[in-house]
Amino acid sequence: MKIDVNKLKEIVGEDNVRDNIADLYVYSSDASVHSSKPDVVVRPGSVKEVQEIMRYANKNKIPVIPRGAGSGMSGQTVPLSGGIVLDMKHMDKIIEIRPEDVICKVEPGVVNDELNGQLKPYGFFFPPTPASGKICTIGGMIGNNASGIRSVKYGATRDAVIGMKVVLANGDLVTLGSNTKVDSSGYQLAKLMVGSEGTLGVVVEATLLISPLPKFRAMGVANFATLEDAGKMISNVIAAGITPSMLELMDNVAITAVNNAQNLGLPDVDAIAVFECNGMVKEAVEYDMKRIKEICKKNNGTGIRISDDPDEMTRIYEGRKKLFPSLSKYREGLFTTALADDMAVPMSKIADTVHEIHEIAKRNNVVMSAYGHCGAGLIHTKILMDTSKKSQWQGAKRAVKEVYDYVHKVGGTTSGEHGIGFSKGPAFKQEKKDSLELMKAIKNALDPNNILNPHKLMDSPDDWLTATPLRYQVNTK
Amino acid sequence: MTTKTKYLKKYEKEMNMCIRCAYCFEKCPVIKEAQWDTDGARGKVILSYGLLTGELEPSQYIADKLFRCTFCRDCLDRCPSKVSILEIISSARADLVNAGYASDTHKHVINNINNTGNIYGDTEVISQERDGKTPLFIGCQYLGRPNKTKKYIKILEKLGIDPVVENEMCCGYPMEVLGFREDFEKHKENFKKSFPYKDAITLCPTCTVFLREGHRIDAKHVLQVILEKLPKANLGMKVTYHDPCDFSRGLKIIEEPRKILEKLGVEIVEMKNSKENSRCCGGGGGILMTDQDLSGDIARKRIKEAIETGVDILVTSCPTCEQVLKKAATEIGESEGKNIVVRNIEDIIWKAVKSI
Repeated sequence: MKIDVNKLKEIVGEDNVRDNIADLYVYSSDASVHSSKPDVVVRPGSVKEVQEIMRYANKNKIPVIPRGAGSGMSGQTVPLSGGIVLDMKHMDKIIEIRPEDVICKVEPGVVNDELNGQLKPYGFFFPPTPASGKICTIGGMIGNNASGIRSVKYGATRDAVIGMKVVLANGDLVTLGSNTKVDSSGYQLAKLMVGSEGTLGVVVEATLLISPLPKFRAMGVANFATLEDAGKMISNVIAAGITPSMLELMDNVAITAVNNAQNLGLPDVDAIAVFECNGMVKEAVEYDMKRIKEICKKNNGTGIRISDDPDEMTRIYEGRKKLFPSLSKYREGLFTTALADDMAVPMSKIADTVHEIHEIAKRNNVVMSAYGHCGAGLIHTKILMDTSKKSQWQGAKRAVKEVYDYVHKVGGTTSGEHGIGFSKGPAFKQEKKDSLELMKAIKNALDPNNILNPHKLMDSPDDWLTATPLRYQVNTK
Repeated sequence: MTTKTKYLKKYEKEMNMCIRCAYCFEKCPVIKEAQWDTDGARGKVILSYGLLTGELEPSQYIADKLFRCTFCRDCLDRCPSKVSILEIISSARADLVNAGYASDTHKHVINNINNTGNIYGDTEVISQERDGKTPLFIGCQYLGRPNKTKKYIKILEKLGIDPVVENEMCCGYPMEVLGFREDFEKHKENFKKSFPYKDAITLCPTCTVFLREGHRIDAKHVLQVILEKLPKANLGMKVTYHDPCDFSRGLKIIEEPRKILEKLGVEIVEMKNSKENSRCCGGGGGILMTDQDLSGDIARKRIKEAIETGVDILVTSCPTCEQVLKKAATEIGESEGKNIVVRNIEDIIWKAVKSI
């Protein structure tokens, strides 16, 4: 189907449509390993424009791929079969902030930290805290059910989204959910949209729960000689009924990379746990931090430091937030790839899983790091390899499969917060095999022409490595 | 890999290190205005990668995109992978210039430097040649503003510094940043003859950076040199201070201008984005010559931020920032009736020391 670019220009104006090969090349990738060009990029500025685009696309069966900052790590916004990329960054209004109702309403292109900047004078913040918060959009967070380092206390985006306006595949505008925290009747369609990766509709407005900014905050760091001790510490903290606002683990690969990239001077140990407590009562925060410190000691933690100095906390916090991209500084010639990157496992299996990840990496001749929001059961891994070598990609493919086989065996799930896209398609389909047909039925009911971000989630290709061309130059050897 | 990427090919690994996280979007003045991924630093690195691998052919469109960068260095601070983004962009520009995609405006400036030694192409623009003891590099921007230069020389004299000024030529930064690298290689030798010093005092922030990076000269900006020597004064002014990008992120000269202003009894009300997070004025990287609309949009945003502080005067220490922000301030004054006066720091310093 040839796309009528002039028709799209009529809808959104000439300045908001781009089909030059250079733009298509830029919009062919995100932070994943994949690359595949759209036919055109369109930047809608209103709900009405989104509706008109969808009506046109639906009538002509043209794929539509909504996109925010394009920082997804699994190829969620990479168009496998061309079509229209909807760049939603232009719809970036904060519609209203209602502190008295503890909610706000925003357009999808609003950047997470910019929202927090606007909420701050009211004494509130939007709790999901992805590491990419300074650039990621609320629409992207909804698409992927993003969470982040504070998910251990505040949950994920799905927990904070209570309502939304969505343009469906046929161009109809529907209001889902409510303005209240509780909403018991009927199917929870707003929640269904969260994590659907743009396959069910285009979110054009979201109603979000906001939280009061905590008055007190303290952060701590503890070193562990073994991953097992660190894993037990994390499990013990949660089991003790403490609700830290951050409970993170970094393995030695991650520590080395952060030191190389950000010169943080962290000790060369097997694992470092980073934790934070916050709240409205200073003594309560101090009490929880004291208890975590005791649990660290019980599990052979050393070098335990606790600080409420804002500069020190910012240094630790920023270091952690920049961990993923810093991994490219681990070793000369190895590059970070966002593969097998955000599984979640039951708390008691964290140490074993991290240990297994390292064994799998060794077997397949790649380097894998393990870090993440382990207090929520989430482990991030990345594969570091020479991306120019075909053999490395084959090793990565085996490693990804082995990691997910293990994760599923211990009762874990494929993606905790980054979404599926293409990269995790095979593992997702294996894990969710009992519900794939249900998901397809839902998709078919809402998008019978399969135009909304096709080939993702349950419809993703069986082999992520060949799903699209890789965005790297790979030698044939 | 194509043969058309003489300069980019050195950066293949760097471009693979870019994990396309988009963290460089955060404060990039160009993407904040344009709101297309292609216009941000990540987009420019991706375009460069496409040129390197041959997935993209050089074109005027790509050249236009790669020349839409103010070289404000913000992306370098944001990039957690520490990718050499600006070196990649300037290398891509150099390859595009070699492929015939230089703008006429840029070519004109480079021809001026080649023919007359300065960006204006004016043989009448001569430096304030004088004998003295300490080498002082004026730079094109101040050569074109002789009254300001004279003021700085008088300030130095009053503070006991006897500057020697040569009949100098452009440092060559425009050649490097606009992609005329082969011209720069030739110019470099001539420059060395015209300015044969290992250390120097400089007036322009950008020249300061480039004398260090492009010529290995131990350049110190005049503000660094005079800070300790300046006597205290009580000017009783209240201003906001705009950090030039080459100061705040390039040379980390952040506190010196503030300490000077404080020493002279000038109270500073900081803008929302200041010091390391200072916003670009929109005047760098060549866009002032080729994309005045974009440059103006960026500058007006900065002026609005300055007006939000509630003070009447914005002080900066870069002649280009001063020029761009003055124009934006006039436009905002006319369109919105909100006024702020833009002044260069040397005016303030002169006010305090002229009676010494």
